[in-house]
Amino acid sequence: MKTLFKRVVTAALVGTLALTAAVAQVKPLKIWVYDNSRIDALTQIGKDFEAKYKIPVEVSMVDLGQIKSQFLLANGGSDTADIAIIPHDNLGGLVENGVVLPVNLGRKASNFLKPAIDGFMYNGKLYGLPLSVENIGFFRNTTLVPQAPKTWDEVIAIGKKLMAEGKTTQIMGFPDATYNVFPLYTAFGGAIFGKKADGSWDPHKVELNNTGMVKGLSLMVQMVKNKEAPGTIDWDGAHVLFESGKAPFILTGPWAINRFKTAKVPYAISAFPAAKKGGQPGAPFLGVQGMIVSAASKQAALAQAFLTQFMATEKYMNQLYLADHRPSAWKTVNDKADDSDSKGFAEAGTNAIPMPSIPAMGYVWDAWGNAAALAFSGEKTPKEALDTAATQVETQVAAKKK
Amino acid sequence: METQTKTIFSSQNMGKLLGAAALTFLGAFAVYHLLHDGLLPLAGMISAIVIFLVLILVKKSLTPYRWLAVGLVMAFLFTVFPILYTVFLSFTNMSSGHLVTKPQAVERILAQTYKPDHVPTYSWEAYQNTSGEWLLLVFDQDNKAFDVRPGSDLKPIEVPGDPPAAIDGYKLLDPVQKIQKLQALTEVEFGHGSNLITIQDPMTAAAVVPQYQYDEAQNTMTDKSTGLLYTNKGGTYTSSAGDVLIPGYMVGIGTNNYSRFLGNTGYLAPIGEIIIWNIGFSLFSVLISFAIGMAIAQLFENVPGSRLIRALLIIPYPIPVLVSIMIWRGLLNENMGLVTNLLQHIFGSAPHFFTDISWARFAIILINVYLSYPYFFVLATGALKSVPRDIYEAAEIDGASAWMSFRAITLPMVMRILMPLLIASFSFNFNNFTLIWGFNAGLPAMADTVVPMGHTDLMISFIYRLGFSTASAADYGFSAAITVVLFLLVGLMVFFQVRNAKSLKESR
Repeated sequence: MKTLFKRVVTAALVGTLALTAAVAQVKPLKIWVYDNSRIDALTQIGKDFEAKYKIPVEVSMVDLGQIKSQFLLANGGSDTADIAIIPHDNLGGLVENGVVLPVNLGRKASNFLKPAIDGFMYNGKLYGLPLSVENIGFFRNTTLVPQAPKTWDEVIAIGKKLMAEGKTTQIMGFPDATYNVFPLYTAFGGAIFGKKADGSWDPHKVELNNTGMVKGLSLMVQMVKNKEAPGTIDWDGAHVLFESGKAPFILTGPWAINRFKTAKVPYAISAFPAAKKGGQPGAPFLGVQGMIVSAASKQAALAQAFLTQFMATEKYMNQLYLADHRPSAWKTVNDKADDSDSKGFAEAGTNAIPMPSIPAMGYVWDAWGNAAALAFSGEKTPKEALDTAATQVETQVAAKKK
Repeated sequence: METQTKTIFSSQNMGKLLGAAALTFLGAFAVYHLLHDGLLPLAGMISAIVIFLVLILVKKSLTPYRWLAVGLVMAFLFTVFPILYTVFLSFTNMSSGHLVTKPQAVERILAQTYKPDHVPTYSWEAYQNTSGEWLLLVFDQDNKAFDVRPGSDLKPIEVPGDPPAAIDGYKLLDPVQKIQKLQALTEVEFGHGSNLITIQDPMTAAAVVPQYQYDEAQNTMTDKSTGLLYTNKGGTYTSSAGDVLIPGYMVGIGTNNYSRFLGNTGYLAPIGEIIIWNIGFSLFSVLISFAIGMAIAQLFENVPGSRLIRALLIIPYPIPVLVSIMIWRGLLNENMGLVTNLLQHIFGSAPHFFTDISWARFAIILINVYLSYPYFFVLATGALKSVPRDIYEAAEIDGASAWMSFRAITLPMVMRILMPLLIASFSFNFNNFTLIWGFNAGLPAMADTVVPMGHTDLMISFIYRLGFSTASAADYGFSAAITVVLFLLVGLMVFFQVRNAKSLKESR
């Protein structure tokens, strides 16, 4: 027993010493990525960085939830990454807790798409290096609908005609009643939050129940009541309807393209319909993905330099684009995407609104989704349902303020 | 006297004392760091554990505890501490924006710097001499060059073209070295007095100053760039105009979290519905799966091929629960599910398993029964084997029917063994988060609630949504308060169940 105890203590002490010695070595820059399509490209870029600066770069895949909780709760324990890739809508929660550092792109900022930079702006400061952008597109089955409709009235007229001819069973399925179909709300003037004087989102101005939102939801409820759209919100179901040619339209994102190609459904992507002729097309949310620097990083200056001096170059932005073909946030690389899908998404996203990244957005999704479900089932009118949703968001914002 | 000294300093005792010293040292080290970060509760727990370990190491009368030490430490660290900590959290405002302790928040706020308007920004080149000392060559907006070293003033210097390769024996860093040494360079203060220049990034250097001044006595922050005073309001430094400093910190807020839902019918009514459904769900799940498991065990006790049938019936058990739930989700899908389509064909209409409240609840209990009957089937099979055969023979001779002997012999005998397991299963189902979150996340939605809630929400899924699913807006303090109430409820229920189970046993 005694010798065993001694051995354990000795081993522990030696271990601690060894660890301390290891820490004194050149510390690698740690990067966390939450999806695997970019790991190889980033690892390659990291090797270039190491070859040039003799500072190793360690890229690893970490679940997005884990990235957030490590940044927020671990208070920068020694294992936390120096750099992480996040979708920009998570930025607000991180900034409000003081766990990310600003990034100074200087004049290089003009090389990036303006909305991509806007996505990573918070309280007037830039907090990340935008890498890629994505938005929902308006898909139509080109065999059934050769010409893209310009208004929602046209969409419904075409859909009804196809149903009457027995070619389809629905006008469209809704993948969700919130994010994916947001352009349907915005066509009528829908919004989530109002803006402050400085142009940033104001969590105290909840617009979730404005007339545009009510009109958009009413239109969807109308389709459900007429049995022109399924009354259950079902992501998979909506895509299957489109794939099998049972519905001529769908609002969805780049992630659906592979399954449409596999299903061999002839499709085209275009701008979203407007409320009426000559009106503004509906605007989708813009999602921006980018790299942020941890405030707890022991080599934050180096991490920032990695972003601004190394990553923010056409060469590496292009290398990253080639990895998964997500539209680049770097203008000249973004221009290279000239296939019809990319063009379609770009057309649909010309007026895209960066998704609000304020923490209050976290209260919105469930409230909004529940409101739509209650309206779909007929338990509440669209107005009543959205009023409740807005109150729920307001209540939680107010409770937070205390 | 001599012998005593000898025993104290015997090699055995030395080992103990060394061990105790090492433990104390490690413990003190950990506690110091935890206290430095303001993590008082964890520091307290670690201190208690270290004291306990040292005591059992040196005190002879406590020797038996050594065998339990690991288990006890684990229990305290991973069971008792989380419970106490949750109770502690429920009296704080811990939530997004108030995640860190006061010292951490102050440290983060004080680390923020700003550049006063009149102060110029420079571009820079760095030089280093053989003894590792730094020299900075900075260029202002008009491209005028200055030589600046730690502790001395800015010295104008003529730089006609490119920066010289060396100044006074200091060698110029090339662009690669600039990045390599950047981290070290940012920690050097060049210049002196009120004109300290620090490197901001690879392009700029400037004389920045800390933006905030902390008054520890008053617990206020002053913004030196604007002169605004920020006073502490519930863990957030707030100006009179309502502007706040980031981040806020965790403070006690008394029973606010409790009164937020205990005094609010907007919360209480739906929470009441959730609790009733929660109890009903657990009760029905356990009773039905037990009944089915028991029936199958009884039926297949002695039929030919019973081994094969048993093996087949156990199949749902080893399949990962989440996979089974996903399959059921697909089967019951309202638009294209196998089950719904089949019912549609036969009856002309199919139940809405996701949008209708009662059908959704039915579906959830159905899936749970499917998932848990094999468990009870296995248990019951084992329990049945333990009932002595001769009792049945005696009953048969007395003319008891099969049903009577089941009721009077099998059930009581089996129950004695299975009751604790039924109670455990009830408690498990009370918090069966996986099933609810995997199947429909608590939907369909309740109308007109204060915060989003669903008709099939269990307390646990409701709390999870409130506290974690929206991590950017998470409200841990509030979730902890609801958790504590839930803990008391379940605790009470289990307490009474166990007491009844005991009386059941004693009466036999």
